[in-house]
Amino acid sequence: MKLSYVIKRVLYSLFVFAVVITLNFFIPRIGVADPAERYYPPQGNMSDIEYEIVKQLTREQYGFHVSTWQQYLNYLKGLARGDLGTSFRPGSPKVMDLITERLPWTLVLSVSTMLIGLIVGVLFGVVAAVKRGRWQDTLLLNASTVMVALPSFFIALILSFYLGFEWEIFPAYTDSTMVSEFAWTWEGISRVARNAALPVMSMMVGSIISYAQGTRNAVIAVTNEDFVLTARAKGLKTSTIRYKHILRNSLLPIVTSLGMSISGLIGGQVVIEQVFNWQGMGTLFLEANQTNDYPLMMGIMLLLSGFTIFAILVTDLIYVLLDPRVTVGDKR
Amino acid sequence: MGEGRVMEQVLKLRNLKVVFPTDYGLIRAVEGVDLDIYHRECVALVGESGSGKSVTSQAVMRLLDSPPALIRVDTLEFAGQDLTQLTEQQMQEIRGKEMAMIFQDAMTSLNPVMTVGKQIDEVYRRHYGDSKQAAREKTVKNLELIGIPEPKERANAFPHQLSGGMRQRVLLAMAFACMPKLIIADEPTTALDVTIQAQVLKTLRGMQRGCGTSLLLVTHDLSVVASTADRVYVMYAGKIVEKAPVKDLFTAPHHPYTVGLMAAVPRLSDEKKKFTQIPGTVPSPIDKPSGCYFHPRCTYATERCRREMPRLTPMGPDREVRCFHPLSVGRNGHD
Repeated sequence: MKLSYVIKRVLYSLFVFAVVITLNFFIPRIGVADPAERYYPPQGNMSDIEYEIVKQLTREQYGFHVSTWQQYLNYLKGLARGDLGTSFRPGSPKVMDLITERLPWTLVLSVSTMLIGLIVGVLFGVVAAVKRGRWQDTLLLNASTVMVALPSFFIALILSFYLGFEWEIFPAYTDSTMVSEFAWTWEGISRVARNAALPVMSMMVGSIISYAQGTRNAVIAVTNEDFVLTARAKGLKTSTIRYKHILRNSLLPIVTSLGMSISGLIGGQVVIEQVFNWQGMGTLFLEANQTNDYPLMMGIMLLLSGFTIFAILVTDLIYVLLDPRVTVGDKR
Repeated sequence: MGEGRVMEQVLKLRNLKVVFPTDYGLIRAVEGVDLDIYHRECVALVGESGSGKSVTSQAVMRLLDSPPALIRVDTLEFAGQDLTQLTEQQMQEIRGKEMAMIFQDAMTSLNPVMTVGKQIDEVYRRHYGDSKQAAREKTVKNLELIGIPEPKERANAFPHQLSGGMRQRVLLAMAFACMPKLIIADEPTTALDVTIQAQVLKTLRGMQRGCGTSLLLVTHDLSVVASTADRVYVMYAGKIVEKAPVKDLFTAPHHPYTVGLMAAVPRLSDEKKKFTQIPGTVPSPIDKPSGCYFHPRCTYATERCRREMPRLTPMGPDREVRCFHPLSVGRNGHD
């Protein structure tokens, strides 16, 4: 029963991924007739014949000299080998290399934001639920109301102004040599941590509050369930009830929101990266967008969607572990 | 019932009052309820929804959260122990071990993400400090006793994998785990099909007799009362209106409300008669009528009933009724 569910989910995810690959390939091609013409306009006093030769060479270099259908097959073949294509950037770097160079730096920000948000948020949420109606709870409620009106880039601006420029506690702008001079030494790591402080702080406020709010509501909802009364009537200790009965059931909605946010780990911080000049996926995507570098855009989009599909799959599978009621076609 | 009298008293409740303050006013859920339950006795607490019977039963186990509930009680004695003097920790030692509770809806009353076996194990582990293996052995034995086939396999099932009757039996097994002195069953069969109801009631009664437990059966179903209880308390709008041994109650109900309840039970023999019901509805717990709470719905109501709340007055051996004009045999049109 459970194994068949897992297989079904995996196959379904693969199907969605195949659809995504196809759309990802064809959509950029709708708007651009001949990329060679568009990206290599005539330069200097090139004659028409010379220009034709340049265009033809360009097409061959990027694989546009064959039919669209053939290009699609070649693209698939490339993907199968783990080749995402070649960027239009000078020096023709591989898309894969560009991404692998930037991805870790984005993950530094997003994973630490998520972990802090999750741990601190769930903790706050449980406290607020237990102290329901008292000041801890009211504080969370008001904080989340304020947060709805405060986007993270606004917090980023305020933080970078005060903590960065005025008081100079953390760098307001990521120093450009951080990436190139990075080494796995105490020095290198602490330098990254110092530079990451402001971007992470800007994003973590919202993250903490949304996890706290979700946890609080889930815990309160579960606390009112009949089976908690049953557990109390059995004479179980308050701590046993809280951790074995309430928290386990409250985890389900938390896992859902976690799964949702995992997909944002790669591409969810374009603005913040821009504000702090953080050389991550967000800035890479913006650069690709500005230079019409569509092999690079395709590569990033593919990674994003693939990661999202994967995150949803993992969320679903974790659900099966947490909630025995979730099985194929099983209705309550 | 006569033999029960010489036995020790398991529960003595005097003047229980429970109030819930709300934005719209005070909800007076329970207004001065007295209950006595003796050893091995099955006492039924009958009333419509909203009459305060569930609140009463939870107050006995001190399960009501305060706040929001405001609770006052003169005496709450359980097996000679004054429960009002106990701390929450001491209450936890008693709950599940000496007094247990069976709830109405077994689907929602069981934790959906924990196997039923584990939920019963918890009782043994908590109160006897058993190891996992020892607790599971007892659980399996217990499930077998309660009439669950293949108890070993069923213990590893999750609540949603069992049938409704089976789930209710799991709740029974849980309640009887430590052979408590008192079990409070709050509408234990309401969520079940009629045929399953009969089986579960039979099991409940059998277990109660076998374990020497006293039972407080909270229900709105008079047919359940007739087949199960020894003595009956009838509750209306937070007050006990009639108290009687089950046989006496059914042969000669004294309170007009009890009479109305009985007339409302459909009978196979009365097929041609129209289905009768008590006119009106239960009064809002915030805005109860003056005088006797039942007078707006009562055909025998007089001026005095509108002004004055009657007291519980003794009517023969072991019977009490809260009415100025109690009905006697022959007058109610039933017997």
